[in-house]
Amino acid sequence: MADTSNPQKLSIWDRMKNEKITAFFFCLPALIPLVVFWIGPMIFAFYLSMTNWDLMMPVYDMVGLENYRQLFSDPRFYDTLWNTLYFTVGSVVPAVFGGLLLAILLKSKVIAKTVHRTLLFSPWVTPMVAMAIVWSWLFNPGTGLINYILGFFSIPALPWASSSTWAMPVVIIVSVWRTLGWAMVFYLVALDKIPDSIYDAAKIDGATFWKKLRYITLPLVSPTTLFLSVVLTVQALRAFDQIDIITQGGPAGATRTLLYHYYQSAFQRFNAGEAASIGIVILLISGVFALAQFIISKKYVHYQ
Amino acid sequence: MTGNQSSNSRLKDKTYKIALNLFITIISMVMVFPFFWMFTSALKSQDEIRSFPPTIIPETAQWGNFVEAWQAAPFDMYIFNSFFTASAIVALHVITTAFFAYAITQLDFRFKKILFGIVMATYMLPVPVTYVPSYIILSRLGWLDSYQGIIFSNAVSVFAIFLARQSFLQVPTELVDAAKVDGASHWTILWKVFFPLTKPIFITFGLINFVLMYNNYLWPLLIIRSRELYLITIGLRQFFIEQGAYGVNWPLIMAASTIVVVPLLALFFVTQKWFVKGVGGSSGVKG
Repeated sequence: MADTSNPQKLSIWDRMKNEKITAFFFCLPALIPLVVFWIGPMIFAFYLSMTNWDLMMPVYDMVGLENYRQLFSDPRFYDTLWNTLYFTVGSVVPAVFGGLLLAILLKSKVIAKTVHRTLLFSPWVTPMVAMAIVWSWLFNPGTGLINYILGFFSIPALPWASSSTWAMPVVIIVSVWRTLGWAMVFYLVALDKIPDSIYDAAKIDGATFWKKLRYITLPLVSPTTLFLSVVLTVQALRAFDQIDIITQGGPAGATRTLLYHYYQSAFQRFNAGEAASIGIVILLISGVFALAQFIISKKYVHYQ
Repeated sequence: MTGNQSSNSRLKDKTYKIALNLFITIISMVMVFPFFWMFTSALKSQDEIRSFPPTIIPETAQWGNFVEAWQAAPFDMYIFNSFFTASAIVALHVITTAFFAYAITQLDFRFKKILFGIVMATYMLPVPVTYVPSYIILSRLGWLDSYQGIIFSNAVSVFAIFLARQSFLQVPTELVDAAKVDGASHWTILWKVFFPLTKPIFITFGLINFVLMYNNYLWPLLIIRSRELYLITIGLRQFFIEQGAYGVNWPLIMAASTIVVVPLLALFFVTQKWFVKGVGGSSGVKG
């Protein structure tokens, strides 16, 4: 990479007025890592998914679609699929709507807006690993604060991360906590772009708060809603840190998402082929999601 | 929403305002409560932290927990590793982004649109899908368990390219033309005209990507084996596991978590306007 960014070479080419060569060398520093570590591996993943490699032995066989056949006949795969859906919907929907609600609140008559914005956004900058540890302390079934608070309201203590029913809600709460303020900031920008004149006109027509929300705010922020739901979905599909710290996919696989399944099969069972096939499934799901959300957008999203 | 002249509606307005402020304040407090709880838990003794009902403020602050945690694991080394790799990655992002954004916005070549489309599409890619193949590629390069492995595999940021392209497009063409008339090379135009004018965007994505890389966990977890190379996230998880072996030592773990989280919170509180600008001002942030 060093020699591609050598000023002297570039100025020679500039003198030759050869834009194409300059363009080539300017693109190279970004394209090399992108091809080696992103696009190449993507294609390589398709190939790997048709092998039975264990990541260590020098030899392996091509097994065609065998990995996929096994994956689709494994009942555990459908459990992870369900867990992924549960986690994705559970963490994306509250973050999007909560973010919008907070943004609308902050836009109205609130004192110290910047302070609130800073505080609400701050979870996003902190390492998930550290905060997942803190949350597992808060949710500790024995002496954790949350069970104490529940007890205060005479609600019986819950086993949280050690129960297969409550482990997923814990992981979801931690994820939403982290992305809520992040989503809010996007909505704050979107709300800023709506001209006051629209609301003033609506007020003259005697529109109520709900009518203004339904007919002005929601349609005008719909591009942000779409963007956030796509990006948060892709993020949910790759959520790992909180699951690894709080539950390790357990108990009894209750929080094993597709990505965690992928991680375990690749780096705990060393089955590169199986892992690659799970990876391709994740890729296809995110592709379908993105496509579906864009098709929906054609119908409901209003770009100004 | 503005107060009507009748005192009844003004009262209603005032109640509404108080309720609203109270509500948002409660939410803000709840959101930062985990930080507060982490910190006070770090200052409690082993006995006090198990007491029921829990105490909000520690009876006597055990500042020694921080010393003990600091000595129990090489956190200074972990933090250095994370700062070093994250800074190196951000430096590479500046270089790769500036060149690429310049080529895409200022130079004319074939397949430009397709190239930009492909690069942007990788943004929607669920990155972990590439982890197994990238792991194999890194092992072939002999870069597993090395700084190079972490740094070069993260050398490009699609989010940064997206932001830089947007602001490069806003640089007035007259400036570019004037520089060209003066005989400036593309290299000079990029670093003497574009880079100074669009510096805010570089600061923005630099800060955001620094935070993302400091917090990065899964990918380094896969490729780093030796303890001397542990990043702070991996070191903290290791500490969490080790301290949990004989009955969880929560005060020490909370002290270690505080050591990890506080530098980032401090960085964020000082630079927060850049974050908000980068996140909200665009529509493309890599999570």
